[in-house]
Amino acid sequence: MGQNFEEVRESADILIVGGGIAGLTAAVSAKEKNPDAEIIVVEKQTAGYGGKANKGGGVLQYFDLEHMKPEEFLQYHVHAVGCYLGDQDVMKKYVAMNNEMIDRLAGWGVTVPQVKIPTGPMTFMFGIDLDSTLKMAAKARKLGVKIFDKVPVSDLLTDNGKIAGAVGYSILDGTFYVFEAKAVIMATGSQNYRVSEMWSCGRGDGIAAAYRAGAEMRNTEFGNFGQLFRKESLHEVVFGENNMYNRLGENVTKNFRRFPEADISATALREWYDQMSQGKGPIYLHQPPRPDDGGFDKIWPRPYGGPFWKEQRREEEGKDKDMEVIPGLVGEQSPVRVDIDMKTSIEGLYAAGDVCYCGSGGPGAVPAPPGRNRGSGILNAVFNGIVGGESAAEYVKSAEKRTLNEEQIAKLKEDAYAPLNREEGIDPVDVIDLIQDVMCPVENSIIMSKHRLDICMRKIAKAKEMVKELKADDLHGMLSCHEAEAMVLCCEMQMRASMMRKESRGWFLREDYPMMDNDNWLKWIIVKNEDGEMTLHTEDVPIESYDVQPLKF
Amino acid sequence: MLHTRHKIEYDPTNCVGCKLCYKACFIDVIRWDEEKKQPIFKYVNECAHCNYCMASCKKGCITVVPDYSSQSYRQSFDMYR
Ligand SMILES: Cc1cc2nc3c(=O)[nH]c(=O)nc-3n(C[C@H](O)[C@H](O)[C@H](O)COP(=O)(O)OP(=O)(O)OC[C@H]3O[C@@H](n4cnc5c(N)ncnc54)[C@H](O)[C@@H]3O)c2cc1C
Repeated sequence: MGQNFEEVRESADILIVGGGIAGLTAAVSAKEKNPDAEIIVVEKQTAGYGGKANKGGGVLQYFDLEHMKPEEFLQYHVHAVGCYLGDQDVMKKYVAMNNEMIDRLAGWGVTVPQVKIPTGPMTFMFGIDLDSTLKMAAKARKLGVKIFDKVPVSDLLTDNGKIAGAVGYSILDGTFYVFEAKAVIMATGSQNYRVSEMWSCGRGDGIAAAYRAGAEMRNTEFGNFGQLFRKESLHEVVFGENNMYNRLGENVTKNFRRFPEADISATALREWYDQMSQGKGPIYLHQPPRPDDGGFDKIWPRPYGGPFWKEQRREEEGKDKDMEVIPGLVGEQSPVRVDIDMKTSIEGLYAAGDVCYCGSGGPGAVPAPPGRNRGSGILNAVFNGIVGGESAAEYVKSAEKRTLNEEQIAKLKEDAYAPLNREEGIDPVDVIDLIQDVMCPVENSIIMSKHRLDICMRKIAKAKEMVKELKADDLHGMLSCHEAEAMVLCCEMQMRASMMRKESRGWFLREDYPMMDNDNWLKWIIVKNEDGEMTLHTEDVPIESYDVQPLKF
Repeated sequence: MLHTRHKIEYDPTNCVGCKLCYKACFIDVIRWDEEKKQPIFKYVNECAHCNYCMASCKKGCITVVPDYSSQSYRQSFDMYR
């Protein structure tokens, strides 16, 4: 049946997978650097409308680089947030490019307000409107970038170990696409397991495609971002860590957040679990009233996002009378390993944005974004997009044309359509349900132990078996099958790396190894697909070569 | 967020067929009927009530009605409540 779908072949110098803020920034930056390069963006939904940059607060981090040096922020970040596990050069480069990035965004048509609000001793924030991705999509089109919507990429093509393009299919009519390219930039966002609504477009199929092609993954254990949500309306709570009260009226998280900058720590979620276990729950939030994003409109006029935030406020109004809060998994696994130029471990393959935030090593021992670094999600995507777009644009100038391997294409096509061709099989929702069962409870992904991780591994083994039998009724279902498969893979990478890391560091908490262990665990865990087998090994963080070292007492 | 019971109410009276609701959906809940020039709310049980379709519609044709009881963050303490 799959074989009957029409096949279309396209070729470009650079193929960008994902039309969110990272992919569009990469497209525009690559075109500006190398106007002769032919560039295609292929997007699973609709470029400029898809992704997450238009679903949130639009808050961007700002550094006053006239009065502070990137090295000063690095000092704070490495000690308080990254906990020595970061690639400090990447973080320094991100901070140093801050003002340039904002100027370039403005040059591309994004409205950047002048007023910045301090968020700590070294950082400020400001809010952009939610139409930034639309502006970027318009800019990309104007520069001659070709965009394909409603075409998820299912796998990458290789030619003698180098990237050669990608394959995908239209979810509207099933057309099979073969994209030949000298360079591919993955900008497909993070893995969020379809749990938290606003983050639910992050389903990890881009991560899975990169993994299958042989790209290395790093920091997969930091895909456990969670935050507090109000129990009734399930709306997220920001900056609430210090104000958690148990059933006895005790403030159980006093001074968890000591100053405005470092927000959302895993310890507040752990405390929820501890209190609930002791029978002292439920947990309520007694928070002084503060302006929400809507309130910020008085400071930063944002007409496009206005109706969107108004709907959010209408929805939650009056719902949370007693303000009970529960943790919710967001996920944000972003493990594709890239170097400081956004190159992955496969020649010609680059990555940008949420697909590789932790994989870049930049944020250190935190899931990201925001990685306790508010306003760094969109900006990190812009940072990666500029750097990755320009690196790829440079690379394709001298890279030779690729040869497509027809056997590889035929096999990947068969794999892609397999769920549609099965007469009977398993609903992808059943697989995702099992994976959520593993990922969601705080005691599995936030405060872990060997015993509980063992149980998770057994469930994952079952999910892996189910994946072989996935069945789709239509093309939408076929995409769900691929996403379900990616969730199983990402969950396995997360849990196996979590088993391996026998310490607690930053956001990563093990009940059975509660201390940070700089003697044995200043190491990255690298996950890789070797001939179909998932392998894990460690690599020393080159801490001696970095600016900041752990404190010695 | 699996198989929710959120509803999307659609009143075609003022719809101008601009396609913005279809484009706004980031998870393929909304499809487009090219003949009728109207949205098809094809996979509503996957709606994440992000409200972007509703906020994008300049003519007020769409209302998203969330049913929070159909969502859960699946903490294990839920079962002891
Ligand atoms: C509710 C919320 C609030 C937020 N608030 C802020 C904030 O105030 N400030 C901030 O800086 N950050 C914020 N963020 C984070 C920020 O939005 C993200 O970090 C940023 O948008 C990531 O951009 P991206 O392009 O890397 O990924 P995404 O925005 O996820 O885009 C990825 C794109 O790739 C597409 N795609 C995925 N898989 C495939 C495939 N296989 N083939 C083709 N296309 C594919 C997706 O459809 C999507 O369009 C928030 C996020 C959310 C959800």
